[in-house]
Amino acid sequence: MATILTVDDSPSIRQMIKVVLEPAGHNVIEAGDGAQGLAKAQAGKLDLVITDLNMPVMNGLELIRALRKLPSAVGMPIVFLTTESNDTVKQEAKSAGATGWITKPFKPEQLLAVVGKLVRT
Amino acid sequence: MSAMDPTEVFRQEASELFEVLEGALLDLGQRPDDRELVDSAFRALHTIKGSGAMFGFDKVASFTHEFETAFDRVRKGEIKPTQELISVALAAKDYIRALIEDPQSTDDIIGEAILDDLKRFVSADRSDAPVVEIAEAASLAPAGSKQAGWHLYLEFESHILRNGSNPLDLLEDLCKLGPCFVVPVTDGVPFLDEMEPEDCYLKWDVKLHAACDKDAIDDVFMFVQDELKLTLSPLEHVEPPAPAPLFQLLDEEPGPMAETPVPPVELPAAPVADQPVAKSEPKSEPRPEPKPEAKREERGIATVRVQAERLDELMDRVGELVIAQARLTQLAASGSDLSIKMIAEEIERLASSLRDTTIGARMVPIGSLFGRFRRLVHDLSRDLSKPVEFVTTGEDTELDKTMIECLADPLVHLIRNAIDHGIEDTATRAANGKAEQGRIELAAVHSGAQVLVTVKDNGGGLNTARIRAKAEEQGLIAAGAVLTDHEIHQFLFHPGFSTAQTISALSGRGVGMDVVKRTIENMRGTIDLSTRPGQGTTVTLRLPLTLAIIEGLLIRVGEGRYIIPLSAVEECVELTAEDERSRGRNFLNVRGNLVPFLRLREIMSSSGSPDKHQKTIIISTGESRVGLVADQIIGNHQTVIKSLSKLHSDVTIFSGATILGDGTAALILDVAQLVSLAQSKVEKQHINEAA
Repeated sequence: MATILTVDDSPSIRQMIKVVLEPAGHNVIEAGDGAQGLAKAQAGKLDLVITDLNMPVMNGLELIRALRKLPSAVGMPIVFLTTESNDTVKQEAKSAGATGWITKPFKPEQLLAVVGKLVRT
Repeated sequence: MSAMDPTEVFRQEASELFEVLEGALLDLGQRPDDRELVDSAFRALHTIKGSGAMFGFDKVASFTHEFETAFDRVRKGEIKPTQELISVALAAKDYIRALIEDPQSTDDIIGEAILDDLKRFVSADRSDAPVVEIAEAASLAPAGSKQAGWHLYLEFESHILRNGSNPLDLLEDLCKLGPCFVVPVTDGVPFLDEMEPEDCYLKWDVKLHAACDKDAIDDVFMFVQDELKLTLSPLEHVEPPAPAPLFQLLDEEPGPMAETPVPPVELPAAPVADQPVAKSEPKSEPRPEPKPEAKREERGIATVRVQAERLDELMDRVGELVIAQARLTQLAASGSDLSIKMIAEEIERLASSLRDTTIGARMVPIGSLFGRFRRLVHDLSRDLSKPVEFVTTGEDTELDKTMIECLADPLVHLIRNAIDHGIEDTATRAANGKAEQGRIELAAVHSGAQVLVTVKDNGGGLNTARIRAKAEEQGLIAAGAVLTDHEIHQFLFHPGFSTAQTISALSGRGVGMDVVKRTIENMRGTIDLSTRPGQGTTVTLRLPLTLAIIEGLLIRVGEGRYIIPLSAVEECVELTAEDERSRGRNFLNVRGNLVPFLRLREIMSSSGSPDKHQKTIIISTGESRVGLVADQIIGNHQTVIKSLSKLHSDVTIFSGATILGDGTAALILDVAQLVSLAQSKVEKQHINEAA
């Protein structure tokens, strides 16, 4: 069982991720913005972070950069959610330290596929 | 929580986002250059679009996309958010809201009209904008070649591990496509003392014996395309002699490799993958993270959405529990069993803290209500052509959620009055040397166990003469009666009293201040007016924090028992012989201050002889203080308020009833009424003395 943190200011997206990943045997914890996400990452070991980019308080890019500085998050995959299909956003997030992305809207199978790619149990 | 339908969560969330969006748009009208507002509006739109598409609201997604596209020019600062643009944006917001909440009621034509307007204002037709893109599935043209397999040469950028990608996982995924022959190439690995533990030095030479699509391979490496130099060639010629393979990886039997994932590769790679953790550990010491703060934040954010009815139910149950607990306490007190007494005390303590917790859970910041009025003020100010600045303070002040709901209508009325009657038209304001833009302040603040909500305008103030004339005309007062201005203003609360010279669509329709007053009093609150000619009017609502349970002081008068809300009690004193002697004057000397007092025995017409030592409870409402004389003060009582039947609605000195531990009822005294009763007695006395 992997512990997966979903960071999104939209409760419905978090709920959706939870509803898809929990039956697949993952432990999903939630955070409503980057700062809360960072606090959760500091509080315990995570296997994957799925974060939105556009968020209040601390946006996704800032969160990714901050996570990459955490010793406990070395090698931890980070996936970001984006509605943009353009590459600029992806490049920016990649250079911040993101591992991969999921394009919104996504289907449960797509989410599971990406998680399966990055989380080994 | 996890059983909650995400679509329902989305609806709730969307309605909050609409509030945010509306707030930001309205603010933008006032501060067009505030980037933060544009960003916040944009963020709300973006989330509505993204989540809408996720939960099947395709129309919402496509419309919001268009809206967002139009709005993008505002975000980029290319165009200014004009009033017209904001009005259209608000209409668009309403349309999206309708699409989500009641799709039947919407019409595509309306949506298109709004979009046309929007586009006209941003003057850039972007009809080619795509409806929300569907995530790219691997459905490009299949690479038709039907060869035996693929030869891959993988060269990762050295920092690949830092981004959380693991080449071993990727190789494993590759093996799932078919039997693989994986050979690590070690010629790039430096000497140990030159080795950077977080870097990846290995390259891989892979032969994939499966006739899969090129897309399938790309799919494996989709996240690392930029960090990977992949040389891909069809595998059709003869098996080349592997360049001195360090490890033989191929399962000779062609079969699904997924079950036997390339273990030997882990040997050379393991140090690379493991060391970073070991090495970077000491790094953490120079920059310790603010742990306590992080913890506090975590506690603060854990919220659960609960249906409002459940909270009401919980409150009811707590009420019943408190009554049952009172009975237990009484029973325990009458017996001599010490252990039951201890349990009764324990339960009393728990019930009391459960009550506080429940009341706390029902508290909602009043800001959610204030937000609704921004639109009202915006629309009214436009319709009446009176520019008005709307200022709110104390949004964080918390009130019981039922009260917040009950407050909405009265406040709408008061704000309408303030704009329609209070704020003068632009010409009058200019003539009186006032700023053209009027100002309405809506404020909430805690004051003891009460919350004060004020609606303040800087308009012309009340026209006392006109109110008086109207009152005389309606026969409410005799011509020439001596009344203070404050008393005259009270006629505004009289049913059917309106001095509006013309009945506008907004106010003066007869449903007026009397309804406001009644609503507030039903909440055990009070309403007060103060006005200064030419400077404006302030309406103050005093409201109790909660409707359901209060702390009360239980007293006995004759045979009857009564509750005084503890929030109104200032102190309890004994009625001295000297005060007794002052009989007829009904004033009490409290440390040099004269306080009028009421004998509850007289008011309740109690039979029997009074107790020898009478007690006085000093109560206060705002400025006025009054002493209530009772036979006995029994003590604190958690009072679960039950309303009186309609038959008793004209008994003004009681605001409700409660059930005591022994099952009998006690009436709750209405403090505000008693104070005004005492004051009118004092005035009568003055008149008698003067006569």
